[in-house]
Amino acid sequence: MFAFSSHARQLPARPSIPADLRQRVRPLVSASSRTLPVLPALADVLPGASLRRGTTTLVSGPLGSGTTSLGIALVAHASQAGHWCAAIGFEDPGVAAMSELGLDLRKVVFVPSPRGGWAEAVAELLDGVELILLQPPQRVPHAAARQLVARARERRAALIVVVPSREQWPLPVEVHLEILQSTWQGAGHGEGRFRSRRADIRIEGRGATTTLQTSLWLPSARGDVVVTSEVC
Amino acid sequence: MERLLALWLPGLSLESSTGAELRDFAEALRVVATQCPFVTPVRLGLAVLPARAPSRFFGGEEAVCALLRDELHDIACRNNTEVRIGIADGLFAATRAAKENVVVPYGATPTFLAALPLSSLRRPELAALCVRLGLPTLGHFGALDPDRVLERFGTEGLACHRVARGESGELEGLRDPSIQIRLRALDEPQVLHSQPTFFGGTSLAQERATRAAIRLQQRFGARTVQVARLYAGHDPHERGELVPFGAPTVQDTAEQLWPGGLPAPSPTTVFCTPRSVRLTDKQGTPVGVSPRGLLSTRPERCTIEGEPRTISVRAWAGPWPLTTRWWESRRHRVRLQVLTETGVGMLLAMERGGWFLLGRYD
Repeated sequence: MFAFSSHARQLPARPSIPADLRQRVRPLVSASSRTLPVLPALADVLPGASLRRGTTTLVSGPLGSGTTSLGIALVAHASQAGHWCAAIGFEDPGVAAMSELGLDLRKVVFVPSPRGGWAEAVAELLDGVELILLQPPQRVPHAAARQLVARARERRAALIVVVPSREQWPLPVEVHLEILQSTWQGAGHGEGRFRSRRADIRIEGRGATTTLQTSLWLPSARGDVVVTSEVC
Repeated sequence: MERLLALWLPGLSLESSTGAELRDFAEALRVVATQCPFVTPVRLGLAVLPARAPSRFFGGEEAVCALLRDELHDIACRNNTEVRIGIADGLFAATRAAKENVVVPYGATPTFLAALPLSSLRRPELAALCVRLGLPTLGHFGALDPDRVLERFGTEGLACHRVARGESGELEGLRDPSIQIRLRALDEPQVLHSQPTFFGGTSLAQERATRAAIRLQQRFGARTVQVARLYAGHDPHERGELVPFGAPTVQDTAEQLWPGGLPAPSPTTVFCTPRSVRLTDKQGTPVGVSPRGLLSTRPERCTIEGEPRTISVRAWAGPWPLTTRWWESRRHRVRLQVLTETGVGMLLAMERGGWFLLGRYD
């Protein structure tokens, strides 16, 4: 036994996993159990640093303020990790932009305007995908919302609801991301072009004692989503 | 659908142990490429190329066929075979036209397809069943309701149905995905170490997602569930497209931006039907674009069709002109990014004298 342990000590030490690789490996492991991975910038601001399976995340903000981008950014990393996603109610999706935000288009099914009612479409898709990105066409009735939340919890899928204002979703949610205001930078009076958008965001978690207020580049001039303090 | 010229060398379709067929096919492609651009191999012995441009250049489709026959004569003789050339709309119809050695006239592709037997789809079970149901030709099959076809034959059947109706020319099994790699390997004799891995395989997650999508399609119709495709192109609305889930994948779609295209970030909402926009200065004078590509006045106010509110413009970028297909008249478009007072970014375009809302940076 002594011989064995001394022999083992002579073996070269196992190289440690590089930091950037560990960032990408860690969520993949935990994804099978309780969470789904998100982009590093969003992991910094989300309670629990990930999307929890079986929970509802609400993204709200005025039309054109970047709610669609934020919703896509939330599911982008999980789709890259191989999780299937359904986007419901996005009637005119900008496919190029979604790809730029990191969404793996091969792992997304779109239900742009479900004829038989979006609630049934969501319920049906919850059997097959792990992430639902939902933009309801009008205020969601209480009963329908309760059914969806229960179904998502049962199927262990993450439900992300994108609405123009908080009142459109009648139930309490686990995480609420609200875009307070946002603006594009880079355009002047004819010169330049849209390069980056700065969005002020308030994040409330259920049961959290404090609400977090932060600013995101959505996207930054390099095309990714980052917290403003880091780089332009 | 694109008008395609298909050329088929039957003697090269079956491979012998010497591999001479592949080399001769590669030589045939080189010969054709000296006359017509964009030749794409489909499978061994069969290649397609866009027919419109060469037929204009050489003075008609018959002239192109004659020229290519002439050019390929030596290779065909050496292999003791003939050259079969056909022209039609879409890949499937073009390959069938090459088999028959006919040029299908403009607009006659649906008629040509309708007369073909169902066995031409190379789906024996589907063909056997349909023939027993009294549907011997593609025309009969194509006349069925797509939702019913999906119910009875699944996504595979739906793909066949789209081909039979002439809505799509791509059918699984029509292209040999390895032919391009094999031809390239001829030029680079070193060992191939890239294994083409096809997306998905049969993972459990994929199976579950596919099943849920098909259930939804069966309940609400084939067009309910869609997938996104990204192509090469200039503007956001040209680059992205939604197609029904289960539609056959087009191979070799490059995703890069063309010169003159709008760089990232792209708008997250791209309107299928662009809404007209009234763009004026403070006094209400409409903003125009001069022939040299400059705005006639400062854009200050913006009214979108169907929305009562007038929006103030804080900043703008552009205009960027884009002229595509300059040989056809009136394909001139000017793009303008507009930032409203509330920080909302919009992409406008002017074509034929009016402004349109192409997309919103949502």
